[in-house]
Amino acid sequence: MLNLIKKEIALCMHPTAFIFLFFAVLVFVPNYPYEVIFFFSCLSVFFCCMMTRENGDIAFSCALPVKKEYIPLAKMLVVFGLQGIILLLVGIIGAVKGAVLPAEQYVNQAGISANLALVGNGAVLLGVFNLIFFPRYFKSPDKIGVPFVIGAVAVFLLISIFIVLRWTTPLYSVALNGLNSENIGAKAAALTMGIVIYIILSAISCKLSMRHFQRIDV
Amino acid sequence: MNALEVKELTKVYPEFTLDKISFCVPQGHIVGLIGRNGAGKSTTIKGILRLIAAEGDVSVFGKNMGEDEMAVKQMIGYVGGGFRYYPRNTLSAIRKAYAPFYPTWEQGKYERLLAQFKLSERKKVKELSEGMKVKFALALALSHGAKLLIMDEPTSGLDPLSREEFCDIVLQLVREDGVSVLFSTHITSDLMRIADDIVYISQGKLLAACPLKELLGKYRLARFSSLKDATTAKAIGVKAVKEGYEGLLLCDMQVATSAAATDATIDNIIVHLEKANEEGICAEFD
Repeated sequence: MLNLIKKEIALCMHPTAFIFLFFAVLVFVPNYPYEVIFFFSCLSVFFCCMMTRENGDIAFSCALPVKKEYIPLAKMLVVFGLQGIILLLVGIIGAVKGAVLPAEQYVNQAGISANLALVGNGAVLLGVFNLIFFPRYFKSPDKIGVPFVIGAVAVFLLISIFIVLRWTTPLYSVALNGLNSENIGAKAAALTMGIVIYIILSAISCKLSMRHFQRIDV
Repeated sequence: MNALEVKELTKVYPEFTLDKISFCVPQGHIVGLIGRNGAGKSTTIKGILRLIAAEGDVSVFGKNMGEDEMAVKQMIGYVGGGFRYYPRNTLSAIRKAYAPFYPTWEQGKYERLLAQFKLSERKKVKELSEGMKVKFALALALSHGAKLLIMDEPTSGLDPLSREEFCDIVLQLVREDGVSVLFSTHITSDLMRIADDIVYISQGKLLAACPLKELLGKYRLARFSSLKDATTAKAIGVKAVKEGYEGLLLCDMQVATSAAATDATIDNIIVHLEKANEEGICAEFD
């Protein structure tokens, strides 16, 4: 498994997989729907899958002495690693923003502030994308467009829901909004729930993807 | 012990069926897998390597692929028609990712092969000629001590000199390292040079699996002045040619005085057996 992960990183990673990690600094942009940062992470998955296809990686990997179901698992573990990094970066850079900018500049007119609850929202978005995209993709790894479009539509719908909630519910506009130091319990709970949802959805996605990949003809 | 044994390999697609293919590759032999385009050669190889979900048993040096796939794949070197993977990566990057999968990887042997094949690791795959790609795939396959080479049309797209060179390399591997080889091709001149045995597939069915000499010794090519003469002689796969008709005759059949018979080549055998096969299918429909 470790060898497969190393091969993924060495031969299948599109540069955007790493470049888009730096988009975590977008939390410094005033009045911006910060959940969109996580969409860039999804977009990099699309580019990596394109790279996998153009490189003939699936056929190459299947001829290696590895269990077939480990091939999708290795690809997904690499993506989960990158998603973990973007979540961490958004959390850290958001906290830095809270520490260095005046409180009034921390208020976001386009969604919730760059705080722990945002990271929780991001985890939910990425978990939903994983659940929609990967099982469809590993059914037929040559067809990347349709699974990605379905995943992207779901992600933007969720982003819209989060923005609506920000303006319509006290939970999102007050308890989960603003600096991390305010209502820390609620924000920590939102973060924990987001991560739990991410883990559950991603685990289901792994199971389904491995099952689908077993059945494909390379 | 056979290097490879394939028993009743079957794969059903909506429009094509690979139908219970069984054959073996004796240790130290070069076996040519032949048949026209779409006959099922690549499907057979993919089925052997479990790249597709096919039914049937495959064993390599006595080990069953279904029971111990990872151990079996350690013994196989697969060359899929050159090296079509990772065109923008250097050979060095690919080797670094590939070698750790094989505990038996011999870096010294790999470097010797690269030197022998005049390949530079600094080059990218897209910068290699088709012949160089085949050599790189061979270098990777042989450096992990593969005892069975399975190659899918490795000589397609190669010029005659490169094909000759490839055949020399394969012969050298068999003689010096005792490697066994299964390779598919439709370039029969390569087979005439190096193959010991032939596996002939037509429309997903096995038509012959025997030593090359046996196949060549089985038929003679006969030319007839009229179709009636060919039919009377029970010639196989009769077709019109520039002057008269041509068909195969079994070697033990009497040749009519009006017919001229010569030794049949693999090409002749394939062409006429395919013709006979098609006619057989047409007759069924009729």
